[in-house]
Amino acid sequence: MRIRTVGRHTREGFKNLFRNGWMTFAAVSAVAVTLFILGLSIALSLNIQNVSLNIENQLQVNADVSDSVTAKELPALGKELAHLPGVRSITFVSKADALQKMKKILQGNASMFNGLGNPLPNEYVLQAANPEMTSGLAKLVQHVKGIQNVQYGQSFIGKLLAVTAAVRDGAIVLIGLLLVMGIFLISNTIKITIFARRREIEIMKLVGATDGFIRGPFFVEGTLMGLFGAAIPAFVLYELYRWMFLNVTLFPPFSLLPTAYVASRVLWVLILCGVFIGAWGSIVSMRRFLRV
Amino acid sequence: MIELQDVWKEYGNGTAALSGVSVRIKQGEFVYVVGPSGAGKSTFIKLMYREERPTKGHIFVGGFNIERLRERQIPLMRRTIGVVFQDYKLLQKLTVWENVAFALEVIEASRRTIHRRVEEVLDLVGLSEKAGMNPRELSGGEQQRVGVARALVNKPSVIIADEPTGNLDPDNSWGILKLFERVNDRGTTIVMATHNRELVNATHKRVIAIEGGQIVRDQERGDYGYED
Repeated sequence: MRIRTVGRHTREGFKNLFRNGWMTFAAVSAVAVTLFILGLSIALSLNIQNVSLNIENQLQVNADVSDSVTAKELPALGKELAHLPGVRSITFVSKADALQKMKKILQGNASMFNGLGNPLPNEYVLQAANPEMTSGLAKLVQHVKGIQNVQYGQSFIGKLLAVTAAVRDGAIVLIGLLLVMGIFLISNTIKITIFARRREIEIMKLVGATDGFIRGPFFVEGTLMGLFGAAIPAFVLYELYRWMFLNVTLFPPFSLLPTAYVASRVLWVLILCGVFIGAWGSIVSMRRFLRV
Repeated sequence: MIELQDVWKEYGNGTAALSGVSVRIKQGEFVYVVGPSGAGKSTFIKLMYREERPTKGHIFVGGFNIERLRERQIPLMRRTIGVVFQDYKLLQKLTVWENVAFALEVIEASRRTIHRRVEEVLDLVGLSEKAGMNPRELSGGEQQRVGVARALVNKPSVIIADEPTGNLDPDNSWGILKLFERVNDRGTTIVMATHNRELVNATHKRVIAIEGGQIVRDQERGDYGYED
């Protein structure tokens, strides 16, 4: 194909957008609505994932050190715990630090500790390499000599993990369904726009245009419609999200992901989907009109 | 130039449109194809530019063996013939100029060639003044002249016309015929299916009459021969 022909297809593709004004509007709207919903679902599921990750990351094993362990023996115990399989991080909270923290929480009532000395134990806080391993790790920790008590939210963990997994899977299924619906809607709209122009295609064929030549402008037109159809929801979603991020106050672990992060994941998906759906939809829908 | 050898055409529903038609048309001839409605004229015409395929037999147009054409070769074959339709088949969204230029863009002619050729044929059909108009702003006769200009613009060796004057009044019909005669004088073969008795009887060209899917008459300087 010559460069001049590519130029012609591009020019014609652009012109056709305006010549078929209402049809263009219908197709661009269909793409825009679908991609808006898709973008919204992706942004939502990214945030749901983030929240569930935040919650999961707060899962930890608190191991109380028995008072019989002397200060000299502590580093060895710490090392032993750190070498257990599946440990991602370990921090030491000394009796003194723990008391300090407790007093801070109790504020005015801190005086109740006076004369009691320090009843709190030294403590190691461990995090497992992944949240599902938390309870297994807790069991290992329990059997380490010098540990007297282990807490890890036993009954809570199983339920939480089940809920976050369900939310994640649900989001994927929802996005899949939306995509299928969207492609159906868009390909139908494009089919109608091309059906209205079957005469044009017939004439092209009768004056000796090759199939490739006929497809050219339709391909450009479809791509442009997809691009516009993606640009609109991309812009709206970006502004909407930015506004939410700036104006809606949430507390951890329920915090919104930063706008730039979400934009970097969502926008290119919308643009690629739009271009693909537009170009592919045009080519597929016109195929049967080429048989003249 | 154009040759049909024992051509049969049956449509999917079992209707036999042509039954064993053989005919030979030499380069530069002017041929009318006449006959009652439903006799097979349109099928005869459509076979020549491969809108229909024969059920049996051989068709040669120019250097092409029509029934052996591969999908890819069909466009190349159609570029060597100009087709004129009863309903003009113009693109309503394009101007007169663009409609004519279209047939050249398709064969990737240079912009200069397109300009030169479009000006030439629009001048030939007398529509230079209306180049910028849309087809719907033109009369039927003018629209058909655009159709003829489009058929002529890439200098085909044959023009095939299916009832080109079917929708036109007598004056405009004569206008189109005069155009065809001028083109024919330059050596282009013309095959024209028609119901227009006045034109056929006044011009004394070769007449092929088709009835019931068969050629019933082929006269060198014939007349219409039907009472309508």
